[in-house]
Amino acid sequence: MAKILSDKFFEQLGERTISFFTTVYDIAVLFIQSIKALPSLWFYRRQFLEQIYAFSVKTLPIAAVIAVFIGLGATVQSTYQSSELLTRAILVNVIFKTTILELCPIILSLVLAGKLGASLAAEIGSMKISEQIEALETMSLDPVGFLVVPRIVAGLLMLPVITIFANALAIFSSFFVSAVATDWISAQEFGSGMQMDFKAFELYFGNLIKPAVYGVLIALVGSYFGLRTTGGAKGVGTASTNAVVVSAVFIVIFDYYLGKLLL
Amino acid sequence: MITVRGVHKSFEEKEVLTGIDLDIPDNNNLVILGPSGQGKTVFIKTLVRLIEPDAGSIAYDGDDILKMSRKEWQAYQNHIAFVFQNSALFDFLDVRENLSLFLRMHKRLSPFQMYNEVSRAINFVGLGEDVLDKFPEELSGGMRKRVAIARAMIKRPKYIFYDEPTTGLDQNNAEKVSELILMLKNEIAATSIIVTHDIKLMRDVADRVALLREGNISFTGTKEEISAETLEFLYETRGEYDL
Repeated sequence: MAKILSDKFFEQLGERTISFFTTVYDIAVLFIQSIKALPSLWFYRRQFLEQIYAFSVKTLPIAAVIAVFIGLGATVQSTYQSSELLTRAILVNVIFKTTILELCPIILSLVLAGKLGASLAAEIGSMKISEQIEALETMSLDPVGFLVVPRIVAGLLMLPVITIFANALAIFSSFFVSAVATDWISAQEFGSGMQMDFKAFELYFGNLIKPAVYGVLIALVGSYFGLRTTGGAKGVGTASTNAVVVSAVFIVIFDYYLGKLLL
Repeated sequence: MITVRGVHKSFEEKEVLTGIDLDIPDNNNLVILGPSGQGKTVFIKTLVRLIEPDAGSIAYDGDDILKMSRKEWQAYQNHIAFVFQNSALFDFLDVRENLSLFLRMHKRLSPFQMYNEVSRAINFVGLGEDVLDKFPEELSGGMRKRVAIARAMIKRPKYIFYDEPTTGLDQNNAEKVSELILMLKNEIAATSIIVTHDIKLMRDVADRVALLREGNISFTGTKEEISAETLEFLYETRGEYDL
């Protein structure tokens, strides 16, 4: 009995491992197809502008709420853990760097993977099961160019914009809770804490590079699972769930490697 | 003329098309008739490479489309229109945009010319211009099907493929669709390939008929040549067909 169970366990483990790497390979292929279809972006500019709107204006409210509370939370946690060994300016520096380099980009991307990734997969998945993608093909329109490329480029461009906005808001809320609402630190000390050991690259890294990569991942993975949708409403639900889970896993993996490679 | 030779298609273990040979002459309405589950939709989608066959050849006027690159085929598709079973209108576009999408992407027309083309197409299928600003979800099944036919017509294709055009429609709408198929043949001199299980539709529109049974063509000829016994054999019923 134990042997049968262990055989089944290893069989399933093997199948899932193969399935994971097949998915990674297929996503990479879709990425390459999208790069090849990039010149068609002008042709599909209207779809691109619609995606720019979806990736920016529609995500701003949720990004604002998250950013404000990241700033507040990070500050409250850090002041709680402050000790005599560190000056308050150093703590502000830690809050500042942690927020712009890690907290804001990754938390925002994970939330947007849930919001945008799921909706992308559901939207494209519904089109797939209702034959709309085949209809595109019969109209000599490339589904990758029409559906995937505008979303990837919108993600690439707009997630950095949203993250810059979120980072600014998070730092402002941190300043507000530590220097305005309370007298834990003065405004001058807060400013000097932020400037301490300042590296411009860190701003590019947290505001541009990381979110651009995550934006591409969210759009690519969402589109991939949408295009692979089979069956009916259940298939669309599965595609959305898979899109969120896989893009979240990719984001945390890329987060580690980007930090390790570039910082 | 479309020439189909030895087309096979399997999905995993199941062989759906088992070596189809068929000639589709120009300026004809060919109805491919058969009950559900015989591979009709797979076959019609194979004819336009929405499904790639495992073996065989499909030639349009002598050009084997299976040997064309994706890019060549995409260019060739300008001569082809497909009316899907569920209409497949783009639900994120209104009717006007659904109709003008092909023109906007592939033809250099002025807004005035585009407006004229769209109006002509929507009037041709018997719908008013008030429909143009509606989204597909606001239309009935019959109206959606007529918009899908207008979308096919606007391409002025040489070949129009219909996948079960009357499925899910009431008798009035089904008859309207039959009329449109006939009118379209006269209007743009297109060759129509229609797959259906609807014997009435076959009687109304067919110039030629091919019967599809268990993944292969079991009969080709005119509708007058089909006997009631043949249909009874095809549909595995008795005494239902009065031709």
